[in-house]
Amino acid sequence: MTPLDGRSVLKPASDVRFRIVDREAVVVRQRDSEVLVMSDVAARLLALADGVRPVDAWLDVLVEEYEVDRGTLERDVLQFAAELAEQGILEVADR
Amino acid sequence: MSFGDTFLHNPDLFPARRSGEAWGDRKLILDLPGGPYRFSGLSAEQEREALGRFGELRLDPVSSAVDTELFRASPSDFREIDTRGWNYDLDLDAGPSSLRIAGLHLVGRLDWRPALAGALWTSDAGTDRFAGIFENFCRVLVAYRLHDMGGAVIHGSAVVDGGEALLFAGRSGAGKTTVCRLGLEQGRTVLSDDLNALLPANGKRVALAGLPFTGDLESGGGAGAVYPLRALLRLEKDTEDSLRPLSRAEAAACLLACAPFVNADPYRRASLLANVLALVGEVPAFALRFSLSGRFWNIMPSA
Amino acid sequence: MSFTEVLRKTWRDNLLFSVLVELTYRCNLDCFFCYNDLALRGEPMSTEEYFRLFEELRDLEVLNLTLSGGEPLAHPDFLKLGARARELGFVVRIKSNGHALRGEMARRLRDEVDPFLIEVSLHGSTAATHDRQTRVPGSFERLLSNLREVLDLGMRVKINSTLTCWNEDEAEGMLDLADSFGLQIQIDPEVTPRDDGDREPLSVAPSREGVHRLFALQARRAVEAGANLLIAHGADDGTLPAPVEKHCGAGSAGIAVDPYGNVYPCVQWRRPVGNLHHQSIGEIWTGSTDLREVREITAGAKRIVDGYGPSGSFLNFCPGSAATRTGDPLEIYPEAVLRMEETEKAFGEERKKILLPILP
Repeated sequence: MTPLDGRSVLKPASDVRFRIVDREAVVVRQRDSEVLVMSDVAARLLALADGVRPVDAWLDVLVEEYEVDRGTLERDVLQFAAELAEQGILEVADR
Repeated sequence: MSFGDTFLHNPDLFPARRSGEAWGDRKLILDLPGGPYRFSGLSAEQEREALGRFGELRLDPVSSAVDTELFRASPSDFREIDTRGWNYDLDLDAGPSSLRIAGLHLVGRLDWRPALAGALWTSDAGTDRFAGIFENFCRVLVAYRLHDMGGAVIHGSAVVDGGEALLFAGRSGAGKTTVCRLGLEQGRTVLSDDLNALLPANGKRVALAGLPFTGDLESGGGAGAVYPLRALLRLEKDTEDSLRPLSRAEAAACLLACAPFVNADPYRRASLLANVLALVGEVPAFALRFSLSGRFWNIMPSA
Repeated sequence: MSFTEVLRKTWRDNLLFSVLVELTYRCNLDCFFCYNDLALRGEPMSTEEYFRLFEELRDLEVLNLTLSGGEPLAHPDFLKLGARARELGFVVRIKSNGHALRGEMARRLRDEVDPFLIEVSLHGSTAATHDRQTRVPGSFERLLSNLREVLDLGMRVKINSTLTCWNEDEAEGMLDLADSFGLQIQIDPEVTPRDDGDREPLSVAPSREGVHRLFALQARRAVEAGANLLIAHGADDGTLPAPVEKHCGAGSAGIAVDPYGNVYPCVQWRRPVGNLHHQSIGEIWTGSTDLREVREITAGAKRIVDGYGPSGSFLNFCPGSAATRTGDPLEIYPEAVLRMEETEKAFGEERKKILLPILP
């Protein structure tokens, strides 16, 4: 897979369903009938991954929410997004 | 083509039980032969349209009746059919204790558990088409109800003569409407030139009631009127007028051939035959050859 | 945090998580013991009202949306509603009798709705028994053929069954049949009265011996397979019991909606707590005093069930069923006690051990 960068546009995989329950993401992978409970950060990223806004636009939002500098945030977010993509939860959207 | 294919997009979803969402809370009780019949679940508009056609037959609430519930269907349930030059026959599918009906904008069923009860799903909320849909269902309902009572609905013309009814039956084109027109011209009352109800004798004479379903001629006998049946006449067009007595078997065969819906029901053909044999045992029957002169009235069996 | 803990949180904090929607009471089968109240009347929910409901449920972070009936596929806008539910990100379950799940309908269901799971009903392991219950000749053969078709389409299917005195001798046959398709089967040992209280379905309730044989069979198979022993219990969406101070999630994490917009705590508990023609689901969820009472009752039920000690977890007691049967959602009815006794006999120590990890 091409490495993600700030211009990458992501969306939840087509068989993924998720909701936020009390700051945690309940993620269902339909294909495997699997339920995952993930952190609030994952929940946040899933909500931001709308298939339209690039990761850079997520950072604009997240930098307001987390007290951390943009560079660190970008590194962490890209790393986490890549992990989610690896697990088949996020996928790169066609543009 | 299997059952329902002509009219329905998905016959697999044909309702197997009398359930669904009603159109409204209106109830209508009609005094059709074999009744009373109670219809519930109508919208106000459906009630108005039904009354437009059957208003004369309306009854006050009764304690027992043949019940039919109306439910909603969706226009998307039904196929679009180009009805120009098209011969409309309901699609029927009989079972040992049920009958399924599919038609234009209607899905219906009759169930015997053990009493007869009906259900009608239609996509028509009460437009000017509704009365026709409702009537098409009623034709089947009344035919089966009369069958259950030992009677039959007969496709034929009934004319009143001297306070009694004469029933003219015959294959399509045999002259049923012609006979009626000739009768009307001579001042006789036509009960129906399409469908008539024969009610079993039960120790009295076989009775005939015109059914208020639309034929080619306006019926004039008054809704709900019942007359003793004087004779059954099997029609054959000819240039001469003549009358020949029919054997019981011939008469029964004639009625059987003219008993719509039920005569095509493999589960009820035997009981229908028993019904018509009993009926013709009580009524003289003749083969009538008639000309367009109208003079055949002179050789009619008299009271 | 585990999923069980999330569920516990939804029960405890009244976080609506699972909603069952009965789209229509039309049905293409006529099961003798069906629980639907067919005399219920009202203004049906319009498709637009369903869309609004779904959107609001999404905003409430509801995950599970079950479309039921009647036969949900008989709703004229079923595919449209299902597609919208998918679009809004629900985990969609379809409770269908399976009779119309073939051809174009099956394909469109997969492509347009992409349900998480289709739950179909099996009534016996022979055509004679299955068709006797559905009262539609040919429905057994049709179901088997449709199952093959939807599995070929790659859809996920589960089989539900209700044990009755007509099919109790075929329990093993039904398990084998499910195995032959590689499908999970859940056999509910309880026939319930109709939603209007009509007790006619109870005339086909399974015998004590039938229940006993089923449990013994399930226990034996589970032990052989080394699998988790689970008896039908918990939320209607198949989620596990989440130990909390409430007996069940009825009205706390789940609700049911009938075709007329009446809202109930659960599909089995037909106490109306609001109507969607007049209020939004959010208003009902936070404002209904009936719902508040229901939540208190489920806590009361927990205390009563706990009073049975370790056996309590075998009661499989349903307050909704109790309310329909006795008028009192807290009255332990004889069938629940029977099940408890038979479960204990059949599963005994094995079950207790296996249950331990999910007890608080």
